[in-house]
Amino acid sequence: MMRYLPVLTAALGLAAGAAQAAENTLTISVYSFAQDAFKEAVYDPFEEICGCELVVETGNSVERMAKIEAYAADPVVDMAVMSAHDALALARKELLAPIDTSKLSSFDQLYPAAQDPLGGNLGVGYTFYATSIVYRSDLVEVNSWADLLSDEVKGRVALPAISTTQAPLVLMMLGQALGQDDILQTIDTVGENADDIVTFYERSSQLAQLMQQEEVIAAPIGRFAWSRFRGTDLPFEWAEPAEGQTGGMNVMVMTRGNGNEDLALQFMDYWLSTEVQTRLAELGIDSPANAAVEVSAEAAENLTYGAELINSLTIMDPAVILDQREAWIDRWNKTVIQ
Amino acid sequence: MFENRTTGFALALPAAIFTAALFMVPVGILLSEAFRADGQWSLSGYVEFFSEPLNRTVFWRTLKLGVLVAATSAVIGYGAAFAITNLDGRRRGQVFGLVVLPLMISPVARTYAWIVILGRTGIVNDAIVGLGLSETPVRLLFTETAVFLGLLQLFLPLMIISLVSAMENMPRDAIPAARVLGANWLQVFTRVILPLTREGLVMGGTLVFTGSLTAYITPAILGGSKVLMLETLLYQRVNVANDFVSASVIAMILIVMSFSANLLLKRIATARR
Repeated sequence: MMRYLPVLTAALGLAAGAAQAAENTLTISVYSFAQDAFKEAVYDPFEEICGCELVVETGNSVERMAKIEAYAADPVVDMAVMSAHDALALARKELLAPIDTSKLSSFDQLYPAAQDPLGGNLGVGYTFYATSIVYRSDLVEVNSWADLLSDEVKGRVALPAISTTQAPLVLMMLGQALGQDDILQTIDTVGENADDIVTFYERSSQLAQLMQQEEVIAAPIGRFAWSRFRGTDLPFEWAEPAEGQTGGMNVMVMTRGNGNEDLALQFMDYWLSTEVQTRLAELGIDSPANAAVEVSAEAAENLTYGAELINSLTIMDPAVILDQREAWIDRWNKTVIQ
Repeated sequence: MFENRTTGFALALPAAIFTAALFMVPVGILLSEAFRADGQWSLSGYVEFFSEPLNRTVFWRTLKLGVLVAATSAVIGYGAAFAITNLDGRRRGQVFGLVVLPLMISPVARTYAWIVILGRTGIVNDAIVGLGLSETPVRLLFTETAVFLGLLQLFLPLMIISLVSAMENMPRDAIPAARVLGANWLQVFTRVILPLTREGLVMGGTLVFTGSLTAYITPAILGGSKVLMLETLLYQRVNVANDFVSASVIAMILIVMSFSANLLLKRIATARR
């Protein structure tokens, strides 16, 4: 037995080390974009503060949600960020734990809409985005959401595909401008005009080239994509439609029973702090949900920034999106892309 | 070749284990999903898939474009292959190199080039308006035509390579002999060239048809969600709906279509022997 002791000791040491590492490890699930910038602005500084290790998992929302659901009994992800309606889908499956907002020092500084968007403190908004219409001001004028179906842009307009986060928002505003109460009715209208719509895009990055070569001269986008257009020499404008701008919010959530709640809360608190939200806003990565954030005029141009704008956004109830999306997709497939 | 079969098996074993463990087993598990519902073996996935009008449209569109691309590349490919095989040695190498060149360029880059070429301000629309065929630019992007052109350009070299290889193996005197005996060029093609190059046509046709069915980037970029193909639909099912059963059904349909095309072409190739 004695001759095995060193090996046994080493093995126990490794196991103990691994257990300690697990205690000091926080696994987060985030969107794939701008991860280098996030590492520099958020992850690395947080690791220094907490003396812990951050494990960052990225992917699209569907993959990330599927993973959280698959490991519901023994969560491998402690904290995640996603759209409000995706978070609500997880909440309805009882996969999320309430967030102890008393431990979030910046909680009171958050815009009211970001404080409890899912109910029951199951999520906290960390960024807003406005959605409006980007257009070529030398070729067309856009003053209303209804202009997306006007003769002026006929055959040169693009709309988001129904699978995107932007689509329900755009359909809601388009319906409002057309005097339609039901999104299904608006989908039918889009279907009637489908031949005049160049494409139904899935990523706003696809639009930049199409708009530069005048294939598309007007399209709805999220403000987060605006810098792609603003940075070119062409006269792109951000529309301020008569019906107002729409938008949405992404939230941070905590998985139920992850056993790492304190560290997850510490990380959320750090991300929501005025310091980090300002840093992310100045980098043009995320628009702040913290109302105390002040950014330069140049940075503000690319963001959804300021109480006046954020409070004016027509934000769709995530529950409506979740409850209706299947019916919308079904109608879309039958009337728009059939 | 080997003194005993055991040596041959032993040498092939590592590759066989590797392929079985890392490819066939995972793919088998994934595809078995296509035959399961509520924990039991079932074909309900297929019934559901084909009961959706959109899925039927996408299926027929994929089949139609696959056949059209394969047929067009065969027509163009025969002409090109005949011309190449009739060049002298050095020039033949140069022209053959030009045919192969596009295969060395990323399909993403090649497909993005089509966005510029087929756009409203692109060379094709400039020509259409310049020739007076239309007063305003015609919309070509995000149409079946765009996907067809993109796929044709992507896979035509494979057909040409297969046919050049087949024509090089033809007896050199076959065509002159047929001509001397009074056959016109149509007869030379149907009675001499086609029968002698059938293997190349089967190989090229299978590669082009299968490639067109399974291509993702080109239909995604040039067709988008307005011209869905089975492959882009499969991607949507996985990445948007997280519906692996439906995706497995589509994958199985694509595999069956590919094997069927190969069997059909082989049958045509051996029909009159």
